[in-house]
Amino acid sequence: MKGRTPFTLYGLLAVMAALAAVASFSGVATTVLLVNLLVFAALAYSINFITGMTGYVSFGHVVFMAIGSYSLAVLVSTYSTSPFEGIALGALLGGLFALGIGAVTLRFRGVYFAIASLVLALAGYNLVLQFPQFGPGGELIFYIPFQPLTVFFAIWGIVVAEIVLTFFVNRGKVGLGIRAIKDEEDAAAAAGVNPMKLKLYVYMLSGLFAGAAGAVFAWSTFGVNASSAFDLTFSLQMLAMILIGGMGTSTGPLLGASIVYLLYYELLTYPRLQGGQFLVVGAAVIVIALFVPDGIVGIIRRKYPSLKPVIE
Amino acid sequence: MVASYFLSDPSVLLSDLVFGLLLGCVLAVVAHGLNMIWGVVKVVNIAHGEFIMLGAYGAYFLNLYWGIGPLASAVFDAAIGFLVGYAFYYVFLHRELRGKETVSLQSEMVTLVATFGLSLVISTLALIIFSGNVVGIDYDPGTLLLGPVSVPLGGLYVAVVSILIISGTYLFLERTFIGAAIRAYSQDVTATELIGANPAKVASLATALGFAITMAGGALLTVFISVGINPLMGTLYAPISFVIVVMGGPGKMWGSLAGGLTLGIVFDVLQAVATPQIAFATGFLLLIPVLILRPEGILK
Amino acid sequence: MRENRVGLTTKATAIIVLVILVIVGVGAAYYVTSQQGTSPPSQRGTIKVGFSISETGTFNVEGGKSLAGIRAAAQWINDNGGVVVNGKAYNITLDYYDDASTAGNIVPLYTKIITQDNAQFLLAPYSSGLTAAAAPLADQYHLIMFSHGGASDSIWAKGYQNVFGILSPASTYLKTAIDYLKANHPNDKLAFLYANDAFSIVVGAAAADYAKAQGLTVVYNSSYPATVTDLSPQLTAAKAAGATDLLGGGHFNDGLLVMQQLKSVGWTPSFISLLVAVTEPAFQQQLGASANLVTGPSQWETTVNYSPSAASTAGVTYFGPTEQQFATEYAKFDSTGATYHSGEAGAAIIVLADAIETANSLNTTLVRDALHSLHIMTFFGQYQVDSTGKQIAHAMVLDQWQSGSLVVVAPSTATTGTVEYPYTGS
Repeated sequence: MKGRTPFTLYGLLAVMAALAAVASFSGVATTVLLVNLLVFAALAYSINFITGMTGYVSFGHVVFMAIGSYSLAVLVSTYSTSPFEGIALGALLGGLFALGIGAVTLRFRGVYFAIASLVLALAGYNLVLQFPQFGPGGELIFYIPFQPLTVFFAIWGIVVAEIVLTFFVNRGKVGLGIRAIKDEEDAAAAAGVNPMKLKLYVYMLSGLFAGAAGAVFAWSTFGVNASSAFDLTFSLQMLAMILIGGMGTSTGPLLGASIVYLLYYELLTYPRLQGGQFLVVGAAVIVIALFVPDGIVGIIRRKYPSLKPVIE
Repeated sequence: MVASYFLSDPSVLLSDLVFGLLLGCVLAVVAHGLNMIWGVVKVVNIAHGEFIMLGAYGAYFLNLYWGIGPLASAVFDAAIGFLVGYAFYYVFLHRELRGKETVSLQSEMVTLVATFGLSLVISTLALIIFSGNVVGIDYDPGTLLLGPVSVPLGGLYVAVVSILIISGTYLFLERTFIGAAIRAYSQDVTATELIGANPAKVASLATALGFAITMAGGALLTVFISVGINPLMGTLYAPISFVIVVMGGPGKMWGSLAGGLTLGIVFDVLQAVATPQIAFATGFLLLIPVLILRPEGILK
Repeated sequence: MRENRVGLTTKATAIIVLVILVIVGVGAAYYVTSQQGTSPPSQRGTIKVGFSISETGTFNVEGGKSLAGIRAAAQWINDNGGVVVNGKAYNITLDYYDDASTAGNIVPLYTKIITQDNAQFLLAPYSSGLTAAAAPLADQYHLIMFSHGGASDSIWAKGYQNVFGILSPASTYLKTAIDYLKANHPNDKLAFLYANDAFSIVVGAAAADYAKAQGLTVVYNSSYPATVTDLSPQLTAAKAAGATDLLGGGHFNDGLLVMQQLKSVGWTPSFISLLVAVTEPAFQQQLGASANLVTGPSQWETTVNYSPSAASTAGVTYFGPTEQQFATEYAKFDSTGATYHSGEAGAAIIVLADAIETANSLNTTLVRDALHSLHIMTFFGQYQVDSTGKQIAHAMVLDQWQSGSLVVVAPSTATTGTVEYPYTGS
């Protein structure tokens, strides 16, 4: 594996560079659309670290996003700091919470981890409502200038960092160990891999980036609200994205996020199909989960083996 | 502030305990279908909440068009659920489970994610077809006054039916041949064949039974509270069901009741002593220590 | 070999089931949305009003009512001479998208509405959270944004330049009910129980404070999250605390839950006032007799008697359709009847039209000045804002179900009936 030219990484970075150019030089409407697309891409890469790489389904992943959203909203609305400090705090708290939560829940096997992550999101929602610091009914709104390009480069930087990390984690020792866990956890442990340490490492990355992305999301919507910050639909969308794109890969999340979000947005502005977005997404998820569990990247990998170095 | 009323009037605590027990029985029956499927087929149906919602709508429409009461519609719902369960098994589970001795992490994940897709499809369809309007059934069985405690009869009916269903499934699994086959399947798929049963038939029957109970649970929910039927109601009852099943231990029939009562009492008593937010957070987070200390559930 | 055939059949079945599901869904979506018409072409100029509305998602019911109100008001204006600026008549054209009740959709949609569709005026989306996402764009692009569904007081504390409100803010919702109790039953003991969401908690907390300031006795004050399954403990605690009246609520769902569980815990308060749920016709349909004599605050009802003569009594000018004209026009867009969400959204269009005519210009600055200085009455009631854009002249009314119909019982300037007290449970 080592020494091979990282075509995939170059390709993805070229795509990101192209997105930066488009966002900078086309109209505001395109820029804000790309902000949303990249927020979802950032979330997809985030859940990809844990669910894509290890197979542990994080249904409550929205909780890290909410941590980021509230970090930024509290700092900006209560302490009038700059949004960048909010992003930093969101990432820090996201990572720390993931470490703390993961230390307990990553010991559970598969489905129990998924359920534990789900109840954390529900408990989080109720706890936010309990404390007035998070605003009445968990709603904090703030008024700062509308600067789409600044927001764009904030989320752009996060996604680029995620792409690079995903690529190197997959290629390096950590990736090797993680694939061993995914195949057979006990055997991996016997072979000298410390599964807990590896899982905790990727979960921490996952929480950190979800926190950062959640902070940018709060910035881009000028506030946060408990019922939408903890909306499990976000978790589900993240899952759908990596599933459709291709789990664990470095191309899959961006691909999946683009397909799911752009489809969603197109249907939103196409009046006759309102409300039907999740029908299409849901059906796609069923078909892919049952018949092509490795997603689009998997299909390409099998049909065109020669493209393998470019897409993985 | 709230707690002080509570101390000055012991009947309030008594009432809250009764309400908690009744709520617990409702939640138990709502979760019981999931318990059956999870325990036997080892698959978690993420779309569980959507089938509860469909069960509630079943009760609503049966009442609207034929004037059938919600208790009776639980029977109709169960029949529909049974058929839906069979279809569900063959569409979603058969491919993954067929011929396998244990459910691999991979299959677990595939079914988790596929049923999550199903929940999106069903809830979106329900929103389109039923619209976002909240509907209800004109049903009010009244209350029973026991000393200072006022007991809602609807809740009492559900509690009785809930215990009947749970003990019924327990006896069915313990005392009948099919039940024995199902138990065999849940322990070791190959053992099913040893006692002369077809594993796929056993698994599909268990799934169908689970769905029958789930949809009946949706109807029973409307006996307890006959209002508030809406396409998104499943998003609340699904996680509650997950917590109950894990607490009670998947596959243990009485586990649904143990988990349900725990949650019901935690919700209702803490709501009065602390705040509803604290009550919900505690109820949900209770799952974590249970998983650490007793991963097989609170029942032996 | 046999295994393989079974596999194929299962796969085929699965695909067929999914395809059917999708076809049914798309068909249903098409059917549901296919009744939308388009305005006839006209020789007049046009004023494009852009907005997003929640046709799907959490706020789809409120969004649907608001949209029908907006369309009815715009249609009425267009059918009655349009908006006249410098002697030229303009038709109002509406440019709107579904925001799916999701904050993440607001910025892309409003950017599209502003920079690509070139809307000249904006309406805010439904709810204060979504309004907060849209408002900075109105200021950035120097366009008026009329808020018709964001009741939170916090919107008016943010310093937006171009945002104006049509409705009374959340903190005033239960004032009318408390004023009634203060005047008629000052010895009642009040319990407040309300949902913990951005809107209801402001309503409930402000109302409890207001009641205490009025010298009324508040014996119970608690909130609950929207996901609540059982309110019996709270209702029992309120009853045990000696409360005689219950005020609060939140959404349609928990309003019904409160009513049903009041019965099951055996408490019949003398006076009940609940947010949102009570003013929905379905409240009475689902609860039957026990809905009788329940009251609820409302921004507006079709039966409120705001009229040109009421306007002259109040010393302000009346603008736009009468109650009756609005109701007739509204029925063309929504056969299930107008609620206050319809009224407030429609009124936003009417007030905007009057402001444009008063400014005699489409220039944002001039219309903004007009909106700041206007004091008028429409079918929705009075309009006047303070320097932040917050509505200060509009009065909340109190509704009460009386023998199967919703009657406006307070304040006296808008009433069609009087409060009946006490609530009896049937």
